[in-house]
Amino acid sequence: MNKGKFIKNIIIAISSCLLALFILGPVIWTIISSITPESELLSVPPHWLPHEPSIDNYIYIFTGKIPERIAVRGVLRGRAATEARYLPLALANSVIVATSVTIVNLLAGGLSAYAYSRVNFKGKNGTFIFILGSRLLPPISIIIPYFVILKFLGLLNQYLGLILVYLAFTLPFTIWLLTTYFNELSPDIEEAGLIDGCNRFQVFLRIVLPIAAPGLIAASAFSFMFSYNEFLFATLIMTRIERKTIPAILGSLAVNPDISYSLLAACSTVALVPSLFFALIFRKYITRHLIPSLKGG
Amino acid sequence: MKRHDVLFAYISVAIPLIIAIIFTVYPVAYSLWLSLHKIKLTRLHKMKFIGLTNFYKVFTDSYFIVSLKNSLLFTTLAVILTSVLGIGIALLLNEKFKGVEILKTIILLPWSLPTVIAGIMWWWLFNSDYGAFNGFLYSLGVIDKYIPWLSTPHLAFFSVLIAHLWKELPLTSILFLAALQTIPPEIVDAAKIDGASRFLVFKNVTFPFLKPVLQVAVIYETMVGLVTFDIIYVMTGGGPGDATSLLAWYGYTETFTFLDLGKGAALSFILATILLCLIIMYLKVIKVGVIYE
Repeated sequence: MNKGKFIKNIIIAISSCLLALFILGPVIWTIISSITPESELLSVPPHWLPHEPSIDNYIYIFTGKIPERIAVRGVLRGRAATEARYLPLALANSVIVATSVTIVNLLAGGLSAYAYSRVNFKGKNGTFIFILGSRLLPPISIIIPYFVILKFLGLLNQYLGLILVYLAFTLPFTIWLLTTYFNELSPDIEEAGLIDGCNRFQVFLRIVLPIAAPGLIAASAFSFMFSYNEFLFATLIMTRIERKTIPAILGSLAVNPDISYSLLAACSTVALVPSLFFALIFRKYITRHLIPSLKGG
Repeated sequence: MKRHDVLFAYISVAIPLIIAIIFTVYPVAYSLWLSLHKIKLTRLHKMKFIGLTNFYKVFTDSYFIVSLKNSLLFTTLAVILTSVLGIGIALLLNEKFKGVEILKTIILLPWSLPTVIAGIMWWWLFNSDYGAFNGFLYSLGVIDKYIPWLSTPHLAFFSVLIAHLWKELPLTSILFLAALQTIPPEIVDAAKIDGASRFLVFKNVTFPFLKPVLQVAVIYETMVGLVTFDIIYVMTGGGPGDATSLLAWYGYTETFTFLDLGKGAALSFILATILLCLIIMYLKVIKVGVIYE
């Protein structure tokens, strides 16, 4: 018995170390690369820790002061460097788009999920299945029509265009998650509110939203992350460089053959800060509130 | 009171419904219409009805056949590995040991960051000339010459798959972990007292609780796997040759590199049909029994 437990502990120790290495390895190496001079990265094998660490790349991204090492390499690296200068702007674009998508998801998605959960009306099942089913279309399949619609509406290179597209992708999931979440909440308190003379909308705002906060946080985490991470549509819809979001800027930096590796690593590091922050804050809510929805769904 | 409720419901449902109609019904109809025409992205006003020729062109395109094979292999491996390893990681995280809470937090990292960044990180790690993975193996003495991971067909496929798993494993692990936590400990204890082996406990007690999540995970990972694009864009661009060309990449290049809108639209339909068939198949194969009260 004791021997079995010993072996089990060893297996746990080894596998958790391997897992941590697998998960953290790429991130840590990217962060190290971002502060390592390029010559040290390009040696064989690379310097695992920089001998002369510098934050020149970060200074460049935020202030435009060209690092000496890049300047030495001449004109060729100029273009890549210019794109990197748009990173702070892209960060702002991403946050604007993702925040708007999240807010609309909570209000419009929350409201309709609440209606689906509490009210019986004609066409309830049909529309519910239709909304959920719309999410099953592979994004690449509908990219051309989306482009045409947005061009027709004059929404190319506009925040609203990208926001609408992301709403189409995130609302079905939000509605599904929140409907099942509301189904688990007891309607008793709401009934009291209704008897006191509130209408459904007031009940939703004053009673349901505060009670359902954990479910709403989980739903907003998903829509925010989707919008912050989406690449294909962001690239296609935002063609002007000053409107590009984080993944779009990074995508074009990554395929630029002239990019300095350490600058690319610095850009990636800057871009992953918001994701990390978000994941840490919402960790509890995401795991706890996914399961009720899986049960119901 | 009741009539007000129904009115409230219609108003509430209207916004998502309108968005879903604009961004679903119209695109599908438009795609279908495009797929029956010869049309170039650069000359949108000049189009000619050609019936099913685009579909015929896709099915006889050797590049399509390769992409289809690649995608099916890629998705199958990704689905199996995210499920099996996901359950394994969930079982690990469900144990009580020092550091497990930290592990539960850091595992969310790959999931929360943009796929493009995951692609960049792994592209840099697997770099043939300067990559840290090569450097690591070299320092350990496992290899005496750097391996061109991303420019050798099979290795490039493998590298892309690893990057994909790194990004996708966290979500399935967390899903399975959440399912494990819904199992009442009494049931497991009872089974152990009855003398069931560890394997039997897993098979008969634990696994039934994981099944609903397994269904969700398999469907979700199939959808993600079949449309994998970002990682390919950043890491290999479909190469070397056509070794990592997946369906979404093929559709993208047909549309935006070769500018053939009609063929791209035909491919969209084929892709959507494959996905739909797979989902229906899964729903039939993985039957979810009623295990919750």
